[in-house]
Amino acid sequence: MQKLLMPGLLLTVIVAAALLAPVLPLPDPVRQDVGARLAGPSLAHWAGQDEYGRDVLARLVWGARVSLSVAFAASFLAAIAGMFLGVLGGYFRGLVELATVRAAEVVLCFPPLLLALLVVTLLGPGADTLIFCLAILFAPGFARVAYAETLATRNLDYVTAQTSLGTPTVRILMRTLLPNIAAPLIVQFSLTIAAALLLESGLSFLGLGVVPPAPSWGLMIRSARATMEQAPLLLVWPCLALSGTVLILNLLCDRLRDVLDPRGSRARPGFLRTLAALPSKRATSMPTASGLLSVRGLTLEAPGPHGPIPVVRGVEFDVAPGETVAIVGESGSGKTLTGLAIMGLLPPAISVVSGEIVLSSRSGQQLDILRLREREIRALRGGDIAMVFQDPSSSLNPLHRTGSPIAESLRAHGNPGHRVTELLRRVGLPDPSRAARAYPHELSGGQRQRVMIATAIANHPRLLVADEPTTALDVTVQAQILDLLSDLKRSDQGMGMIFVSHNLAVVSEIADRVVVMYAGQVVEQGPAAEVFAHPHHPYTAALIASTPEDDIDRLATIAGAVPQPWALPQGCSFAPRCGHATPGCESQAPELFRHGERRAARCLRWREFA
Amino acid sequence: MTVGAPLVRAEGLSRSFTRGGRLLGRGVPLLAVQNIDFAIRRGEAVGVVGESGCGKSTLGRLLLRLLPPSNGRVLFEDADLATLSHAKLRRLRRRMQMVFQDPYASLDPRRSVGAQIADGLTVHRLVAPKDAADRVAALLRQVQLDPSYAARLPHQFSGGQRQRVAIARALATQPDFVVADEPVSALDVSVQAQIVNLLADLRSELGLALVFISHDLHVVRHLCDRIVVMYLGRIVEQGPARAVFDAPAHPYTRALLAATPSLHRRVRTAPLAGELPSASKPPSGCVFRTRCPDARPRCADAVPQLEPASGDGTRQVACWRNGEPTA
Repeated sequence: MQKLLMPGLLLTVIVAAALLAPVLPLPDPVRQDVGARLAGPSLAHWAGQDEYGRDVLARLVWGARVSLSVAFAASFLAAIAGMFLGVLGGYFRGLVELATVRAAEVVLCFPPLLLALLVVTLLGPGADTLIFCLAILFAPGFARVAYAETLATRNLDYVTAQTSLGTPTVRILMRTLLPNIAAPLIVQFSLTIAAALLLESGLSFLGLGVVPPAPSWGLMIRSARATMEQAPLLLVWPCLALSGTVLILNLLCDRLRDVLDPRGSRARPGFLRTLAALPSKRATSMPTASGLLSVRGLTLEAPGPHGPIPVVRGVEFDVAPGETVAIVGESGSGKTLTGLAIMGLLPPAISVVSGEIVLSSRSGQQLDILRLREREIRALRGGDIAMVFQDPSSSLNPLHRTGSPIAESLRAHGNPGHRVTELLRRVGLPDPSRAARAYPHELSGGQRQRVMIATAIANHPRLLVADEPTTALDVTVQAQILDLLSDLKRSDQGMGMIFVSHNLAVVSEIADRVVVMYAGQVVEQGPAAEVFAHPHHPYTAALIASTPEDDIDRLATIAGAVPQPWALPQGCSFAPRCGHATPGCESQAPELFRHGERRAARCLRWREFA
Repeated sequence: MTVGAPLVRAEGLSRSFTRGGRLLGRGVPLLAVQNIDFAIRRGEAVGVVGESGCGKSTLGRLLLRLLPPSNGRVLFEDADLATLSHAKLRRLRRRMQMVFQDPYASLDPRRSVGAQIADGLTVHRLVAPKDAADRVAALLRQVQLDPSYAARLPHQFSGGQRQRVAIARALATQPDFVVADEPVSALDVSVQAQIVNLLADLRSELGLALVFISHDLHVVRHLCDRIVVMYLGRIVEQGPARAVFDAPAHPYTRALLAATPSLHRRVRTAPLAGELPSASKPPSGCVFRTRCPDARPRCADAVPQLEPASGDGTRQVACWRNGEPTA
């Protein structure tokens, strides 16, 4: 509400001045004083006098009455009429659409000036005519916005839910649809008022609107033009009033839209990447990755309303050459951010607090991805490290033929571009040369994901990061893609893979090792078969038990939900949902206990489960 | 648990959509659902399973008449939904409800969850306005949410909690028939199990006829008495859940089961080749023949009808090789 204060106050001042014009101590706006023609500002006439010696300030204030009431009334009428037409047309479609939105659009075919001339000729000039004329001109704009928004909203589930509840149509339109399409209409309203103010001025300027000697801003501009050389200030005043009012209105409507959104305005990410914030440690000890990749103490933060929120906390794991490591977790566990950090692709809002991600590159160097410059990471991406994203339909550019990003990636890393067809054949596309020329929309979801994989493996990456690569696919297609990934691993000896997924069953098919994440931490890791057969952490055990698979009558559930990262429990993050929690678990945050060569669990009681 | 005559019955139900072609030209007809017969009794839970594009969601919406059918009819008790007047259909909607897939899209972001749960009550004047708040509180308790949450807006809830709110809204009018369209597929694994168990409890408490639409066979098996498997707009197999699971009669059901990843099975058979054909150009004859490992030339000649499976009278299957010994 505070956001509305400033523009609201300013607008109130303008409107109040206009309304109170008769009682304000102002000279008569139409009283002429030819002797003081074009006089500059004086104590008696603060803004000077015009070509008939009339007081400019008084005319500005009285002019506001006319200009503002014409603009408001016209916009209001246009908004009501346009909204009515647009909502009806968008909701009922068919013939109703033809009779409402399409009919309104006919108005758009007339040049506005011609229409105004027509209406003025028919009705004679004056403020009422002007309002009528402007309303007709602006209604189609509202109709179009309301129509487009209604089309987008009417098929949303919450509108369908109202239908299925048996809610009467009028009530659905008024209570469910209108509030949800209001935001763009409010913006449209602010633009329309501004446009109406300007058009009123323009029409009055042409002599088609307000009739002199009644003042309006447009008339003032019109008459000031004639004496522009002698008294330029006369032009400045009405222009200032006009643009100032328009700006205030725009601001007010923008703020109003934000305030009306119950979700509140979201924090806007900064423009600058904060990735390079870490000090370089190159001079001191550089840990060597035992294998291919080594993640140490990775801690990431997101900005929150009350200070930074930890989203990934001290994540550690290694990937050996040729090994598939799966990162498993629910939404909010930090698994995707960990994958993105490895690619150096963190969103701008996320900042790296500490940690190392050391990759042993093809050239034999040990590189800490978190401390590389953007240019250096770019050289690695698509070469040493590559990524496959979740949704193949949104990660391919719809305007490019599928072969072109592959060729581009090949050339960027100094490989001949003609291997495209060979790569597409390798990922199992039936007609590779045709597929290379196809646009993404001509391929199915599974085929698109194959193209993404072909792009990723184009330059024989040492490490492939796959973020939920099969989640958007059907089960039978998912099985094909999993087979493809295992084939690639077998044929491309030494390629390590990080497979990020929420689906335990999928992971159990493809992973050599699993890293289970919960609330931003690694809670368990070890060889996949061992972890699934004998989980050491209660969370892993509960996840396995709640997977609907065993032939049992009732699924095991984990009570509650994943804690929000800004409200983490004091001790073990899982304690509030854990069936085995002791008072100790709630006070003491466990470390990641390692045992044996290969397993680790973040649980105080892991020995009892092991 | 299941008694008497069917509560909802569909006969020869078809629905086609037109893709492309607006004012000029006619566009390509796309057969989303083709010639489906379906019945559900009171207290019965039927799982409708298939991959995206098989028409399962369209079927759900046709059963509730959120979409009008192109052909065929849906009977609720003995009332034909297509011939009911607008007012009568609206009154009947009290008794049939829907739970949607995405709890983020199915709740109006601008109204409190309490108001949305109360919608059905006020629309059908089921309680006096002063008692509405009590009823909403009772419904929230029924879906295991704190009644004090009624004043909150949807964005203040997690996905699982929102789905509980959506279920409470559907239950508010005390329906006899509920269609749940993928109600757990947008949720995390640990939360999925909570919602599946909640639906199972509510069904047995309230004696609902429940149509549970899902792509996840495992989830369906947990909840449903009977399973309907769909492929490209047609039912290819239906029967008791256990029987369909343990010995699938249609090659597509077998492939679907084999492709579903499992925590326990380490070896998976070779997946089905290819992908779902376009519904605007379905293959001739049996729609599955282009991907079927057991297809024969004659499968292209005519569409197989649902017939009792050989050796198991409780089940129906649409396959030309039904009755032949399987490989």
